[in-house]
Amino acid sequence: MDLDSFLRDPQSRRRFFRMSGMGVAGGSAVFLAACSDDTKNPVSLGPDESDQADVEILNGALDLELMAVAAYKAGAGKLTGDRLAMVKDFLEQEQEHADGLAAAIKDADGTPNRAKEAYDFPVLRSPSDVLRFAVDVENTAIAAYIDALPKLTQGDLRSTAASIITNEAEHLSILLEELGREPVPAAFVTGRPT
Amino acid sequence: MASRVEIRGGEDGCAEIESFERDRRELLQRGVGLGGAAIAAASIPLLWSVRSASAEDAGDFLNSAINLERAMVIAYDTVLGGGLLSPAVRRVLRRFRAQEQEHADALTTALTDLGGTPPAPPKGVADVDKIVEGLSGVRSQADVVSFLIELETAAVAAYFDAHAELSEAKLLQTGASIMANEGQHLVVLRRIAGKDPIPNAFETGAQ
Repeated sequence: MDLDSFLRDPQSRRRFFRMSGMGVAGGSAVFLAACSDDTKNPVSLGPDESDQADVEILNGALDLELMAVAAYKAGAGKLTGDRLAMVKDFLEQEQEHADGLAAAIKDADGTPNRAKEAYDFPVLRSPSDVLRFAVDVENTAIAAYIDALPKLTQGDLRSTAASIITNEAEHLSILLEELGREPVPAAFVTGRPT
Repeated sequence: MASRVEIRGGEDGCAEIESFERDRRELLQRGVGLGGAAIAAASIPLLWSVRSASAEDAGDFLNSAINLERAMVIAYDTVLGGGLLSPAVRRVLRRFRAQEQEHADALTTALTDLGGTPPAPPKGVADVDKIVEGLSGVRSQADVVSFLIELETAAVAAYFDAHAELSEAKLLQTGASIMANEGQHLVVLRRIAGKDPIPNAFETGAQ
C-alpha cells in the first residue's frame, strides 16, 4: 500500500499500529490490552502487582519505540543532507527511549520485548512520504503514551513518560515545519489530528 | 509518595528550609549559563507547590499551574510590547502567548469544575520574577529569546516533577499535553537562538 492510501484509510492505520503493538491516534487505544479503562486512576497494588502492571505498560511502550526506530531507519534511505541528519538524531533519541524502557523493565524483574523481525510499513517513495509517515508515527506514539500515562503506578515512571511525550512532540514540531506546516499548531499536544 | 521535598527530623521549620535551599540551589544551577536569566530564589514556592501536588490535593496543583501559566502570559505580553522583536519573531511569540492563555483558561475551568476558586489575578512582572528573573533587563531580541527559553524550561521542569506526585488521570494527561506544548515552544525558541532544538531524548527541564 502506498503512503497516501495508508494515511487516508483509518482502518489500514489501525490494523498497522495494532500489529505494531501501538494504539492509534483518533482510534481505539490498544496500547495496553491489560488495561481496560482509560479513565481509571492508578490503583493501589502490592509491590509485585505494581511492578507487573508497570512492566506490561512499559513493554507496550517499548514495542512502540522499537517500531519508531525501524520506521526512521526505513525512511533514512530516502533522505539526504540536513534532513538525513535530522532523522538520524531522532532515531538515536527513539533508541535512547527504548534503552531506557528496557532498563526499567529489567529493574522491575521483567523481560523486555524485542524488535520484530520485520515491520509492514507503507511504501515510502519520496522525502515527503518519509516526513508525513514520521508525523503519523510521532502522533501515534504521543497518543499512546498519553493513554498509558495514568496507568503507570510509579511516580518516577510517570515523569519519565511525560518527558518522552514532550520529546516526541518536539520531533513532531520539526517534522511539521519541514513539511511547510505550522510547527506548534495547538496548545494541547494529544497526538490527535488538529 | 516520592518527592524531592523531604521533611526530615528536627524542627519542621529547619527541615523545610533545608529542602527549600536544596531546591533553590538546584534551580539556580539550571539557570546558570543561559543568557544571563537566572531562576529567582523567590520562584521556589510556586514551583515547589506544583511539584508537591498530590492526588488528595488536585486543587493545589491547579492553583499553582494557573499561576505559572498566567505569569507566562504576562511575560509574553511584556516582550510583545517591548519593541525589540522582528515581525517574524513577533508572530511566533503572539501564537505562544495565546497558547499559554489557553492553558491558563483550561486549568481554571478544571479548578472551578472541582468547586475550587481560582487564584487572584497576577499583579504583573513581579509574578514572572518569582519564576525567572531578568525580564525587565532584556535589551535585545536575543535577550528576549534567551529569557523565554529559561522560562519555558522552568515550566517543563515544574510539570515534569508534578507528574511524579499526581495520580488523577485527567490531570496527568492534561499536564502532559501542556508540558509537550511547552517543549514545542522550546524547539522554536532554540532554533531562533541558533541552538540545538532538541538536545535531549528526555525533556525534563533540566539544563
